[in-house]
Amino acid sequence: MADQTFNLPDLGEGLTEAQLMSWRVEEGARVEVNAPLCDVETAKAVVVIPSPFAGVIRKLHAAPGQSVDVGAPLVTIESADGGAEQSPGTLVGYGPGGGPESGIRRRPRFAPPAAESALADVRAAPFVRQLAKERGVDLASIKGTGPGGRITRADVESATETEPQPATVPGERRVSVVGLRKAIARQMVRSVSTIPQFTEFAIFDATALVEARARTKAIGKSITPLAYFVRAVAASVRAYPMLNSSWDDKTDEIVIKPAVNLGIAVNTDKGLLVPVLRDADRLDLSDIVEKGTRLIEGARAGSLSPADMTGGTITLTNVGASGPVETGTPIINPPECCVVGFGAIKPRAMVVGGEVVARPGAWISISVDHRIVDGAMATEFLTDLVGRLEKLDG
Amino acid sequence: MRAEDPVRRLFSPDGTLTDNARGSLGLDPEALRDLYRKMVVIRRADQEALNLQRQGQLGLWGQFLGQEAVHVGATLALRDSDWIFPSYREFGMAMCRGVDPAEMLTLFRGLTHGAWDPRRYRFAPLAIPVATQIPHAVGFAMGCRFKKTDEAVLVTFGDGATSEGDWHEAMNFGGVFKAPVVFLCQNNYWAISVPLSRQTAGSIAGRAEGYGFPGIRIDGNDILGVYAATRAAAERARRGDGPYLIEAVTYRMGAHTSSDDPTRYRQASEVEAWSLKDPVARYRSWLSAQGFLDEAFQQDVREGAERIASEMREKLARAVIPPAGEAVYGHVYQHPSAQFLREREEFEASLDQS
Amino acid sequence: MEATMAKAINIGLRDALLADPATLIFGEDVGALGGVFRITDGLQKEFGEERVFDTPLAESAIIGIAVGLALRGFRPVPEIQFDGFIYPAFEQIVSHVAKYRNRSGIALPITIRVPFGGNIGAIEHHSESPEAYFAHTAGLKVVAPSTPGDAYGLLREAIADDDPVVFFEPKARYYLKGEVDQSLRVPIGKASVRRQGTGVTVVGYGPTVLTALHAAEAASKDGNSLEVIDLRSLSPLDIDTVLASVRKTHRAIVVHEAPVFCGFGAEVAARISHDAFDQLEAPVQRVGGLNVPYPPSRFEKLFLPDVDRILEALHLVMAYG
Repeated sequence: MADQTFNLPDLGEGLTEAQLMSWRVEEGARVEVNAPLCDVETAKAVVVIPSPFAGVIRKLHAAPGQSVDVGAPLVTIESADGGAEQSPGTLVGYGPGGGPESGIRRRPRFAPPAAESALADVRAAPFVRQLAKERGVDLASIKGTGPGGRITRADVESATETEPQPATVPGERRVSVVGLRKAIARQMVRSVSTIPQFTEFAIFDATALVEARARTKAIGKSITPLAYFVRAVAASVRAYPMLNSSWDDKTDEIVIKPAVNLGIAVNTDKGLLVPVLRDADRLDLSDIVEKGTRLIEGARAGSLSPADMTGGTITLTNVGASGPVETGTPIINPPECCVVGFGAIKPRAMVVGGEVVARPGAWISISVDHRIVDGAMATEFLTDLVGRLEKLDG
Repeated sequence: MRAEDPVRRLFSPDGTLTDNARGSLGLDPEALRDLYRKMVVIRRADQEALNLQRQGQLGLWGQFLGQEAVHVGATLALRDSDWIFPSYREFGMAMCRGVDPAEMLTLFRGLTHGAWDPRRYRFAPLAIPVATQIPHAVGFAMGCRFKKTDEAVLVTFGDGATSEGDWHEAMNFGGVFKAPVVFLCQNNYWAISVPLSRQTAGSIAGRAEGYGFPGIRIDGNDILGVYAATRAAAERARRGDGPYLIEAVTYRMGAHTSSDDPTRYRQASEVEAWSLKDPVARYRSWLSAQGFLDEAFQQDVREGAERIASEMREKLARAVIPPAGEAVYGHVYQHPSAQFLREREEFEASLDQS
Repeated sequence: MEATMAKAINIGLRDALLADPATLIFGEDVGALGGVFRITDGLQKEFGEERVFDTPLAESAIIGIAVGLALRGFRPVPEIQFDGFIYPAFEQIVSHVAKYRNRSGIALPITIRVPFGGNIGAIEHHSESPEAYFAHTAGLKVVAPSTPGDAYGLLREAIADDDPVVFFEPKARYYLKGEVDQSLRVPIGKASVRRQGTGVTVVGYGPTVLTALHAAEAASKDGNSLEVIDLRSLSPLDIDTVLASVRKTHRAIVVHEAPVFCGFGAEVAARISHDAFDQLEAPVQRVGGLNVPYPPSRFEKLFLPDVDRILEALHLVMAYG
């Protein structure tokens, strides 16, 4: 003999409670299986509940008029029944219940994304990529701490976080540097702190260049001086490939690049951008004009693709484009070896045949990586460049 | 029509079996007593199932109380090889076909959607959406015709089902294809809360003529009448003369299901009136009058019914709960796809083994 | 006032009958019985058989006559007794209710009420979630409230709408109690943020909203802040509310009882991926029914999306780093 408690079942497909109307038995009464125990009212009907056990009524768990939840004890009967599986009162039709549905405990159905090898791709979610782009940071330069080496938002944020700001002194004005300018700032620091660079200067006689421009202008074609500079630099670099290289820190090697991808520094309102003219040594003047123009306009419009912005091997810039400024010392665009800066073409006093004459001319200043190029080679390169520009023979 | 209608001649115009017909059924006393025994047993089982629902052992039960004459009479009038297509209330018929009642109840215990093998018992699965089983039955019967067998098919449904499009479409197909099908309407007067008068303005039996075959309205609480009509209609079908509609008038003494409260829509006096026409009591009287029934037999029948009811209760409590993977994924496809099998594996692997 | 969802719908129907004499309620057992869930209790008694009436057992005709009644100037509110019984009416709904205006210029102000969803221990065909078939059908509006208050407000709005609306009632929540304000309407096409959060957006509708809220509560104990959005309207879909949330949280989970495969969640997930691609830190997770027929009730809790499965999905979206 054992006490069996009968819980209120869900009597009508999804009910959550019932109201006890009256008992048909008393505590202490002996009942057979199926003897009527009580009348309950549900949302749908009034129902008589028959006894599931034979035995003696030990305890009635609700009073007439009381509301009983489905699954709550209704009556306890001391019974010889039972034995094997003691079915709970609410075996079926649990009803939706009111409380949190904790359900059945399970092991996770799927494994989280495993570390996939063999993918050279950077693994970062769209939002993380967007964030990196906005902050001007190359995802390839960030080490991912997420599962499988994924780059997380936190990784991008900590890679680009600013130093804690010191207090502002009255009168000082702080200008926050973010995005592209910040990226440029980092590059400049990297350049001057890692590359031992020196600069050589020369002036070239631009008479032939100016005449060539006038001739082509007469037939309706406009070719900027920049196009001539690009062609000449590309050719000189072919003659002096050492200037088209990169110093490898890790191995102490000079890596000479096969292609001459000439970066052209462009001033935009976001900052200095350097789009790349690929294989500049294989382009003729009109190609250079066409492609160069596209790159410069694209840079100003902000519409260039990453392919247009990467892979440069040597950079062209202008220094002293206007006014009284003649020239300057350009800073190398790492990890390149050389940057070539051109000044403005304007009338200069030159000595020709012992006489001082006014000729169009411009300054050229080249900064080079002293680990790769020494003074002698720099001079040869610059001399070669000047020669090409003065003779314009390609 | 008369020449092809072997059913009508067994009945008076008001749907009662003629004495002559009653006498010529060819059932010996043993068989006649067996009909009685079966009605008592299925009634007892039906009551037990309701008790089990109230005790939380079943989620739902739909009583067939009051319709025992149809369940037993129609089933026994068929050959064992004739298929029966039930609706969702024909558990008395299932038991007459030999389905173990405890197995049957697992349907309402949430363990399975199909509690018996249809091919073994020639008893189609439950059809819960009303009337959907009727086109199935007609198609099956058409198949029998194509295969030139002498099978007959019984499809049973309520008065409510005769409002569904499926019923009309199936009746029409039955007529057009001369399918060997007996359409048995258990007109138990109520479709949940909707009475016959609101279900149709016409006659159920009378519709058969529109579909090209005979129909008859009979007293569905007279077990021998049901037996006679079903047997004659089935024989006619077997001979290749096509379908028959039998409208057996009876009464749903219980609620629609255990979730229903009939006091909301019908009068106690109506129920009372029908209890006076109780099929079991009527047949008992007739058997007794024939001298085929004595107290010893009745005692034996009662005790037998009690035994079956308590066996059913005990067996149900011990009903095997199939493994979840089998219950949820195991019966969906004959040839599951690789994707499906993967999902099953994932599901099974995810279950807490403890 | 506080009321169960069943009562809220009952009051909503009554107020609709009062507000517009063209409103009719009909279906199987809605009159004398008051509906198998008692949703229409007392309405026939109060408004009479010409406004609230029982029909023969014929779903296709129930919707078919609704079309006819609407054409004749009534505002029909037919009931389909259970989700699993809507299929005979599918033709009428999809071929006609949805397309009538497009074909004729005549709008059909029909509101089809259907209890849907499982978790009530029922037998076959009583626990379906067929909402995707209807959301997929242009010309219909499809809504599903999750609270008693919204059930009232959304129902009044649906009945007043001149376009046809399929109104899915989560039957597992019929006895849920909540505040009902008869002066409040819920606009169709507007989702509701049920719980504010910052870490993950959880989108649900009908029965899964409460489940999602329970999951959010459980998750908060581990420091995860879930924002729970109740769509309320499947078509039209208020994706803007969802997107605004995803822009904040960067992660999303969609929950419904219907099987995941080709379920409504796929539309939500695709929209999020498309419109908030750059905001996502993880792919959108869908939690829903298994890709099998709704199982016998003993196993339904393994089929349905419960708190544990939502927490599993949470674990997955967080695992992307």
